[in-house]
Amino acid sequence: MHLIPSCPGYGLGLRSTYYEQILEQSPAVDWFEILSENYMVQGGKALYYLDAFAERYPLVMHGVSLSIGGPHALDRDYLAQLARLAERVRPAWISDHLCWSRGSAHQLHDLLPLPFTEESLAYVAERVEQVQDVLQRPLVLENVSSYVRSANDAFTEWEFLAQLSLHTGCELLLDINNVYVSARNHGFDPWTFIVGLPANNIRQLHLAGHTDYGDYVIDTHDHPVGDPVWALYQRTLEHLGPVATLLERDDHFPPLDELLQELGKARLLADQALASREMS
Amino acid sequence: MKLNDWQAAFEAYLLGDDPGVAERFADTFVGGPSLSVGTGMKIYHNAYRARLQEVLSADFPVTRQWLGDEKFAELTGQYLRRCPSRHYSLRWLGEHLASHVGHDTPLAELVRLEWAFTLAFDAQPKEPLALQDMACLQTHEWPSLQVSLLPSVQWLDCRYNSLELWRAAKDQNSLPESKALEREVVWLVWRVGLNCYYRSLDAGEAAALRGMTHDKWTFAELCLQLTNSFADNAPLQAATWLKQWVTDSLLERKFD
Repeated sequence: MHLIPSCPGYGLGLRSTYYEQILEQSPAVDWFEILSENYMVQGGKALYYLDAFAERYPLVMHGVSLSIGGPHALDRDYLAQLARLAERVRPAWISDHLCWSRGSAHQLHDLLPLPFTEESLAYVAERVEQVQDVLQRPLVLENVSSYVRSANDAFTEWEFLAQLSLHTGCELLLDINNVYVSARNHGFDPWTFIVGLPANNIRQLHLAGHTDYGDYVIDTHDHPVGDPVWALYQRTLEHLGPVATLLERDDHFPPLDELLQELGKARLLADQALASREMS
Repeated sequence: MKLNDWQAAFEAYLLGDDPGVAERFADTFVGGPSLSVGTGMKIYHNAYRARLQEVLSADFPVTRQWLGDEKFAELTGQYLRRCPSRHYSLRWLGEHLASHVGHDTPLAELVRLEWAFTLAFDAQPKEPLALQDMACLQTHEWPSLQVSLLPSVQWLDCRYNSLELWRAAKDQNSLPESKALEREVVWLVWRVGLNCYYRSLDAGEAAALRGMTHDKWTFAELCLQLTNSFADNAPLQAATWLKQWVTDSLLERKFD
């Protein structure tokens, strides 16, 4: 079978557990995704390793604190730090989540779901444009996993993301695992979600593990990617063509080799999917 | 319900102690095929506390070991209720824990010590004053020489054996009893390159370093201050300490 080259590549979430080993072994990872907030410090090991990785690998920045839908003014200090970090890292793109993570007075440090209403859409779109003005580039927004849904939704989540992207020019980070988790929890068809997004605006894919409690699923990032998510990933690539793919692990860190094997599996499945797309 | 009102209710729910969802608020959500609104909201409620307590546990491991898991969870639970996070980075979550637990207690001192390491760990790096810089000083520059502590240097006035506890924990030994010291000791915690260091100062050295870095003494003033204790040897003692501080990479030169 003729395999299409694995373009535009496969990345790993950069975590401190693996800093030394990766620098020693220089594994064949196409790029790394950093958690932006981990490097918003003045000095020390985090910035030392960041610079070392930036010299060796392409990096992308992924944040968790933008709170694009939060009931507060956008944090200008945070945005300034994000912009400064981007100057240092020169990331291929900068992403965060379609969610809110800060309340009116306090940081909530979670990726909380938004109601998908006209009011939310107008509110978030205006803020996305503010962020893009500061960063001078399209913001990339990720779909989050969720455990409740607003009773007042006027849109589905994918319709909301599509509208937001259309109105603001923001790009999308499609987290396949989050689609699966939310689909199971809320009872929608994950494939309908994926084909409902504007294919040309999808900049990146995320793969991660979840924990299945039977009646519901939680996005835990502490397991290997599950089989249903792999299946959805392959189908997504057959639909989209090549898209940058990132493997995330945030807990129960396995030996690096295991993570690299899992990334190899992503490459293999992607190659098969892209070959199948080519032939169809 | 307007978006802001709905979010305010969500925030109050997360920060509150009760994982049950009030009916009026619950009505603003829909559940899934087998995930009820109540269970879904509890996932958020539990995750909020668990995540923040995990961060505090990682930032204050010795305090946790000293208190035990249950008391540490109780302490951090109270702390999070009184001082909910106000910084976007979880790195700052424990900033007020020392003041929350009070002053002049073994617990407060241990918390301050652990936080000092956190502050030193990622403080702004600056080029320290080096022995070579000192060697290049012209004779006329010495009397007016002034220095300040580098940003990573944390100053701790300790009345208890907190450092002994901390060291035992790091060596994976059981923790000794906490006890008051016979006399107060100053400990410094700082970073050089990527590594953190710590050492104690006796009262005389601490007073000298405090004078130069806090009270803005010049080197000439330091010599003068030491005359009472060291008479003719004051300049030699001043130079000895200064050399030690420079060797430890604690200082930068200050130009007024």
